[in-house]
Amino acid sequence: MRQSGLFARFILLLALAALPRPSSAQEMVVTLSTREVAITSNFTGAEITAFGLIERDARFATRAAPFDVVATVQGPAGEVLLHQKDRFGPIWLTAARKRFGGVPLYFALLSARPLAEIADADTAARLKLGLEHYLTLPPPLSLQQGREDAGFRDAMLRLRAEEGASIIDASAVTMIRPNLFTAKVQLPGKAPTGLYLINISVLSEGVVLRTVQSGFVVRKVGIDGLLANAARSQPGYYALTTILMAILLGWIANIIFRRD
Amino acid sequence: MLGAIDAASEHLEKIKVFKNNGRGMQLYLPIAELPLNLFLLLGMGGAVGFISGLFGVGGGFLLTPFLIFIGVPAPVAVATSSVHIAASSVTGAITYWRRQALDIKLGAVLIAGGLLGTVAGVLFFNQMRRLGHLEVVITLSYVTLLMSVGGLMFVESVGALVAKRRAGGTPAPAGHHAPPWHRNLPWQITFHRSKLKISVLPVLVLGAVIGFIGTVLGIGGGFLVVPALIYFFRIPTSVVVGTSLFQILMTAIAATILHGTISQAVDILLALTLVIGGVIGAQFGVRTGQTLKGEQFRLLLALLILAVGIRFAYEIVGEPRELFVITATEPER
Repeated sequence: MRQSGLFARFILLLALAALPRPSSAQEMVVTLSTREVAITSNFTGAEITAFGLIERDARFATRAAPFDVVATVQGPAGEVLLHQKDRFGPIWLTAARKRFGGVPLYFALLSARPLAEIADADTAARLKLGLEHYLTLPPPLSLQQGREDAGFRDAMLRLRAEEGASIIDASAVTMIRPNLFTAKVQLPGKAPTGLYLINISVLSEGVVLRTVQSGFVVRKVGIDGLLANAARSQPGYYALTTILMAILLGWIANIIFRRD
Repeated sequence: MLGAIDAASEHLEKIKVFKNNGRGMQLYLPIAELPLNLFLLLGMGGAVGFISGLFGVGGGFLLTPFLIFIGVPAPVAVATSSVHIAASSVTGAITYWRRQALDIKLGAVLIAGGLLGTVAGVLFFNQMRRLGHLEVVITLSYVTLLMSVGGLMFVESVGALVAKRRAGGTPAPAGHHAPPWHRNLPWQITFHRSKLKISVLPVLVLGAVIGFIGTVLGIGGGFLVVPALIYFFRIPTSVVVGTSLFQILMTAIAATILHGTISQAVDILLALTLVIGGVIGAQFGVRTGQTLKGEQFRLLLALLILAVGIRFAYEIVGEPRELFVITATEPER
C-alpha cells in the first residue's frame, strides 16, 4: 500500500514537472537514467544520472553569460538525534541532546563549480541549497541557547557529511554543451528507502531562470524486500523462524563436530 | 537535438566505467539497511562464538558494540546479537550436556531468580530514567563492576597458579576447604551434576541479582554468573560453563522473540551470517575450554573481563575526539 502511494505521488510529480510554464524565459527538460533503484542482496550503492536540456527562448535576448546548473537531491525525511558530550569531573558524559525533525536522511548538492560562485546566500536559502536549510529548531529563548543550537547545527552538518549522508559535490554537474548538462547522483549503500526528489535549477549571473523537479524511488526487491516485509507484517513468525534457524544451525554444528 | 542526445549518452558510457570497480563480497542486509562485508561478519561471529563456548558467556558485550561500530543501527545490533547468542550457546550447551556437564536443575533455579531480578531491574530503570541520572549510574557501575570482578579473579587465579608451581602438586582447588556459608539455610536441594547440596535461596538470589544488573546495564550477565558460581558455590568449572550457557540460551530465545515482535529490529540475514560463524567458533571454544585447567580458565576469564572494563573506562575517561554523536536516525513512517 505504502509503495503504491509513493509511486502515485512520484508519477504526479513527474507530470507536474513536465507541465509547460509559458511565463518563463527559459525552458528546461530533465530526464533521469532510472526512476526506480532496486535494492537486492548485492546492492552496494547506485548512480543515477539526470540529463537536462535548457531551451533558449527566441523572444528574449540571449544572455551572454553561461548557464549554471545546481541540483539538490532530498531523500526521505526523518528524525536525527544528536548527543553532545561534556566533562563531569574526571569522566565524559552526554550533557545535552537535540532532536532534529524532518531532516532529509540523504541530501546531495550538485553543481559544476562551487556554490558561492553561482548564487548568493539569499538565493541559496530560497532554493534550499544545502542541508543547513532543513535543520530547523524552535527559536532560541536566550543568547546562550542560540549559540548552543548553532553548535548542534554545525555538528550535524559535519557528521552527516562524514557519514556520507550529506554530499556537496561541485563537480557532479557536467555542462556537455552550454545548454546541455548531466548531473550524477551517487547513492551510498546505506541510502534509506523511499522517495527521492531532485530539484534542478538553472541560473545565469546569479539569477534563477527556471527550477524543475523530478524524482525516483529506492526500494528493496527480491529476497530483501520479502524479508523486510515479513519482519513488519508477520513479526511473530519472523522472530520464531529466526530463533529456530539459530537453534537448528547450532544443533547441526554440534553433529558435524561430534565425529572426532 | 539528436546530436545533443548522442553526446549525452557518450558521456554516460564514461560514467559507467567508473562505477564498476567491485567491492568484494558485500551482502545487503534488509533490516539494518546497509551492505556489509560477508567475511567480516562470518569472522566476527566466529571469534565471539569461540569466546562464548570457551567461557560460557553470551558475548553480546563484544558483538553489539562491534556491530554498532561497523554501522549497524543500534536497535538492530542489540536485537540481532541475541540471535547469535542463542545459536552459539545452544551449540555449546548441547556439547556440555552430552558430557554431563550441564546442570539443568541449577540452570532452572537461576532462570527463575533471573525473572524476578529482571522485573525489579525494569522498575529501577524506569525510576532512574525519570530522575535523569541513568547514564552516569549505568556507566560508572558497569566499569566498577567489571574492574572489581576482573581484578579479584586475576589476583586469585595468579595466586593459585603460583601456589601450584611452588607446591609442585595439586593445589587446593577453588573450593572444598571453604566454610559453606549457605549450608544452614532452609529448602535444601541436591544438584547432582554440580555435586552440590545447598539451599535454593542463595541460588535464587544470585539469579535475581544477575537478572537485575543485566537488565539495568543491558548485558546478558554470563560473565558474572560464571565467576559467581565458581567462587560462591565451588561448582566445577566445566559444569559452570555448561549451566551458564543453558541459562543464556533461554534468555536469548526470550530476548529474540521480544525484540522481533516489539522493536522489529532483528535482521535475519545479518543473524544468519553471524550464526554460521558463531556455531563453528563456539565448537572450537568448547573444545579449547575442556583442555584448560581451572586456574588457567579463571585467569583468562579475568583478563577478558578486565579488558572489557578498561575499554569502557577509556570510553568515559579519555577525552573524546568528537564531542557530538549522532545516536539515532528514524525515518518518518
